[in-house]
Amino acid sequence: MDKYTYELYSQLLKTSWKVFLIILGIALAVILFPYAKDILIMFIIAWLLSVLLSPLVDYLESKRLRRGWAILIVMIIILALVAFSFSLIIPGIIRTVEALTTKLQSDVINELSVKIEAFFEKNFNNAELARNVTAKLNEIGVSLLNSLGEFFKNVGSFLASMVIVPVITFFLIKDSRRFKRAIISQVPNKYFELSLNILHKVENQVGKYIQGQTIDALIVGILSTIGLFLINVAFEWPIQYFFFIGMLAGLANLIPYVGPVVGAIPALTIAILNNPPNLGIVLIWIVVMFILVQAIDNALVSPLVVSKSVNMHPLTVIVVVIIGGKIAGAIGMLFAVPLTGIIKVTLQQVTWGLKKYSLHSISRLKEETILKPKGGEAA
Amino acid sequence: MENPIWGNSIFRKKKKEDDILTLLKKEPIIKMGDPGLGMYIIVKGSVEISTEEGKDEKNVLAQLTEGSFFGDLALLDESPRSASATALEDCSVIGFFRPDFLDLLNRKPKLGIKVLFALAKTIGERLRRTDELLMQTQEKKSKIHHG
Repeated sequence: MDKYTYELYSQLLKTSWKVFLIILGIALAVILFPYAKDILIMFIIAWLLSVLLSPLVDYLESKRLRRGWAILIVMIIILALVAFSFSLIIPGIIRTVEALTTKLQSDVINELSVKIEAFFEKNFNNAELARNVTAKLNEIGVSLLNSLGEFFKNVGSFLASMVIVPVITFFLIKDSRRFKRAIISQVPNKYFELSLNILHKVENQVGKYIQGQTIDALIVGILSTIGLFLINVAFEWPIQYFFFIGMLAGLANLIPYVGPVVGAIPALTIAILNNPPNLGIVLIWIVVMFILVQAIDNALVSPLVVSKSVNMHPLTVIVVVIIGGKIAGAIGMLFAVPLTGIIKVTLQQVTWGLKKYSLHSISRLKEETILKPKGGEAA
Repeated sequence: MENPIWGNSIFRKKKKEDDILTLLKKEPIIKMGDPGLGMYIIVKGSVEISTEEGKDEKNVLAQLTEGSFFGDLALLDESPRSASATALEDCSVIGFFRPDFLDLLNRKPKLGIKVLFALAKTIGERLRRTDELLMQTQEKKSKIHHG
């Protein structure tokens, strides 16, 4: 075997070995995914948090605070805020579910059923249809409550396993540069600048996107809360727990197109179950308020704070939300769009890098180095 | 090693965070036309700076040795590299890249400003030298023109 054939043979062997390792890696990932799902979700949440909190840590560090202390201070503040919010929200959730259950078991539903039946009998002269409609509505109401209970049960067990997230977040912020360097050090020299540049751009855009989405959700949450409060003042408090419902609307806003509709449903449901004297007007005002909040968000808030590089087609959003729901339930639905956004940004940047960097001239060098004898003089 | 960009003291502080690359003879470090990302300081070995004129033609601009640096303008913007740098022998270089520089400016503004100031000084000196060369060329040109 001459030297050229030997080099080609060894190169082929190396490539085959790499392909085998990649296939093995993918197979292992698929097999282990169901077992590692919870840990993976924890890491994703910790990573999202680290991206979100890093600017605050950097700011404190620029004020001459050690990075470790800066992270600790930011995390203590955030944890205190989360604990405070939960202490307000969790009793609210429990009271809301209890109240809804009571309402569903009380005469309100019967009164509504009678009203609907009368409406159908009067307008369509069809009592059978009216009974069918009310029975269906009852069914929907009960299943809605059941799924609501299931959702909070999932969130509860999920939160219980989330004790570890702050610890992971701490180390992700503290050693982010070390992790980045560890990844980059594995990259061959010829792809070094390309990889570093892509990593930097992805990090930058993903950071802006996550921070933008969080600020946007917070503003929508505050606006919805104010709107619901004003409706409450005007119509003798038809919507209890307006703070919780408003903030839930902000959170739902993380899911484009679907979120705003989902955000309005709890407010409308509670108003219907409370059955105030001027129910029709209250419902119209709730819808108008949510449309107004969306208009303000789309015209003023979103263009300023959310990066446009991750705009997605409505169909894509619906598909990824369904997939997210299948994989990780409510939390999966919530994170499906941001995670798809991150994948989109990464792919955009990789394509940009491959177009901009002259990798062809590097492969020319590769041919030269393959044929170069080890330790020998090259031409 | 005294570095013209950030001097001795800051260089020592920065060294811990820098990337050291080991390169084989003839291995390209940067390619002309690629987006700029940062500068390199030669720790060991020598590097050839050249421009590519045709497919196989190149114009050698300089040969740099230990302690020299190149690619410093890329710390400021992403404009394409104006020349290629290739290792003339097996060598080690330290990279200092724009993401690290921006990070440094963010986290340690005082240190970042020092580096920025030194960078501006280096670019200023280079501009002054270019101006002098331009003036000399113009003078020569006018002398030839007026006999």
